Amino acid sequence: MTEPSSAERRIQPAFPDLIAERTSDRLVQFRVDKSRLPQLARFLHEKLEGRLALLFAVDCRPLEDKYEIQYLFSLNRQWVLVTVDILGQERLFTSITPYVHAAQWYEREIRDLFGLIPQGHPDLRRLVRHEHWPKGIHPLMKEFLWDKALGRQQGQYRFRHIEGEGVFEIPVGPIHAGIIEPGHFRFSVAGEPIMQLEIRHFWKHRGIEKLFEQQTVTSALPLAERVSGDTTVGHGLAYCEAVERLLQLDVPRRARFLRSLFLELERLHNHLGDVGAICNDTAYTLAHAHCSRMKEQVMQLNDQLTGSRFLRGALAIGGVVNDVSAIQRSELIDVLNAMEKDFAELESIIFANASLTDRLETTGVLTERTAWDHGVVGVVGRASGMDQDVRRDRPFAAYDELAVKVVSYRYGDVRARLRVRMDEIHESIRLIRDIHNTIPHGPLIAKWHHQPPAGAWALSAVEGWRGEILYFVMAGEGGRIHRCKVRDPSFVNWPAIQWAVVGNIIPDFPLINKSFNLSYAGNDL
Amino acid sequence: MFRILKKSLKTGRVTGQYAQPPQSRAALAPGAREKALPFKRSLVIREVDTGSCNACEMEMNALTNPVYDVERFGVHIAASPRHADALVVTGPVTVNMERPLKDVYKQTPDPKLVIALGDCAIHCGVFKGSYAVTGPVDRHIPVDVRIPGCPPRPAEILKVLEDIRSRSSSNT
Repeated sequence: MTEPSSAERRIQPAFPDLIAERTSDRLVQFRVDKSRLPQLARFLHEKLEGRLALLFAVDCRPLEDKYEIQYLFSLNRQWVLVTVDILGQERLFTSITPYVHAAQWYEREIRDLFGLIPQGHPDLRRLVRHEHWPKGIHPLMKEFLWDKALGRQQGQYRFRHIEGEGVFEIPVGPIHAGIIEPGHFRFSVAGEPIMQLEIRHFWKHRGIEKLFEQQTVTSALPLAERVSGDTTVGHGLAYCEAVERLLQLDVPRRARFLRSLFLELERLHNHLGDVGAICNDTAYTLAHAHCSRMKEQVMQLNDQLTGSRFLRGALAIGGVVNDVSAIQRSELIDVLNAMEKDFAELESIIFANASLTDRLETTGVLTERTAWDHGVVGVVGRASGMDQDVRRDRPFAAYDELAVKVVSYRYGDVRARLRVRMDEIHESIRLIRDIHNTIPHGPLIAKWHHQPPAGAWALSAVEGWRGEILYFVMAGEGGRIHRCKVRDPSFVNWPAIQWAVVGNIIPDFPLINKSFNLSYAGNDL
Repeated sequence: MFRILKKSLKTGRVTGQYAQPPQSRAALAPGAREKALPFKRSLVIREVDTGSCNACEMEMNALTNPVYDVERFGVHIAASPRHADALVVTGPVTVNMERPLKDVYKQTPDPKLVIALGDCAIHCGVFKGSYAVTGPVDRHIPVDVRIPGCPPRPAEILKVLEDIRSRSSSNT
């Protein structure tokens, strides 16, 4: 096999003295000095077209007296992990934001949670810590107690202002109309068109990454399932995959198929809901009513199969809890076949409506270039011409045996995002049929008896319905979690909305926002 | 037009196509029934998320779908707390949402009901104890009705909304 070292071979000519610390066909790890990092990051991003998938810090104390900053780049089908050590009393690291735009929120997040300062970052305002958090509080430092009550201080976030005749600012949120999560949006407008949008999030920050550190690797699944409720299976599965890699556990084949089934069911009900909600935001309530009816049908099916409308508790470390019998599956297929026909009829009704498609087309365009600069993933990325899907590129669960057809559109407008969702609904139903036909017999769960060694870590990626979910889990003493980094697709896609809305009129913002439909909970953690 | 009519006729009526929930597990605070008295014919709800995982929001949204259709019971969902009779609060109260929650409570005209929806709003659930969570909803504002579940099913929410208002009518 020549594939395993492909990333290494491409990096070697430019950096001949760089030696990989860890190599597998999935991942290559390099440890570099912090002075060399910008050069390497720039090379990976610009020359090798590596997408910055994740950037996070690890407080290695008490095992070792250092912080590690990890840069994860996605090169074709291989991960390249670049590790930089921050030793002893050092608190500075070099910012790569000037070269790799996607690093901007990650580096601000590291500064807030670890107190490490990205030198050269153009925007050092607080991100996760709101202004009322007292100075010097960095929750993910090991000396910070997880249940410590925060004090309060005075402070105000400095929004970017545009000044000039006829320029107004419209603040929206954190609590806004509709049944929706809290977030603050600050628009600068001249007349109706939006000149600038600035997003202020992290109202729902619940300290999830710190809560993970209070658990053992095998007990934290319920927490992972509640990172973002609508992505229960996506997050749960990503967590399971990481822990199983840590425990070197082989999941039985039947369980892997059932995991794919649950993931597709989750994709189905969320996409159905989104198609309806996008139509609803153009005041086309008929499509909304039909879609929410179908969504409800899928959620009731979920309930019948697993006892939870969100498929909570269906997964377990090492496999799945709930079996789905052949009779249940064939009933499921019958319902889904009828639903596919039902949905296809609705699609033709939707696209026959000129006043609806007029609202969708050329609205909220996210260009491929902007999407690439932000490292956008998932549905939003595929609507902007980024041909990527973890199910195909880095198969997990049973996707190595199921061929996934990846949908992608070029225009990046609301209609493209709607089309991606519609096509994925058909694809999910097809995959569920495939799963029904090929699922093997066998055990549901693999047993484990050992604990992962302290300092061992694993990385996993899962294509949730929003996009690529990443988990980095590092084990500590006695099977505890030393560090768990969670990256919901929303975290990378939120900043991209700020660019997609520019030039659009204010009344189209809810529509654009709905077409992205990002999680606030998964972003804020 | 013909297609739309055909679709509607083919679909038929779906309202009420859900399993009736067993015994309601909701807990009412003393005096909650009296407080619900003025709302027996119409109740306007404002939903406030103070840090939930968004599953409770999805179930609240499901209430408005054609299957549950909460409006048939005279329950409406308002866009502003100033139009609301009841606040439905979901999630543990995070440090960042503590102030907005108190603001919303003040903005809601009296008399008002507060409904804590889901385990997190009642006892913080899996997020209990975290530095970023200040406590359950009743630490900050008085709570009248508690609906447990992670998340509670829409049918359960619907039943509680019916119960508090029908009990209030039987009291009169």
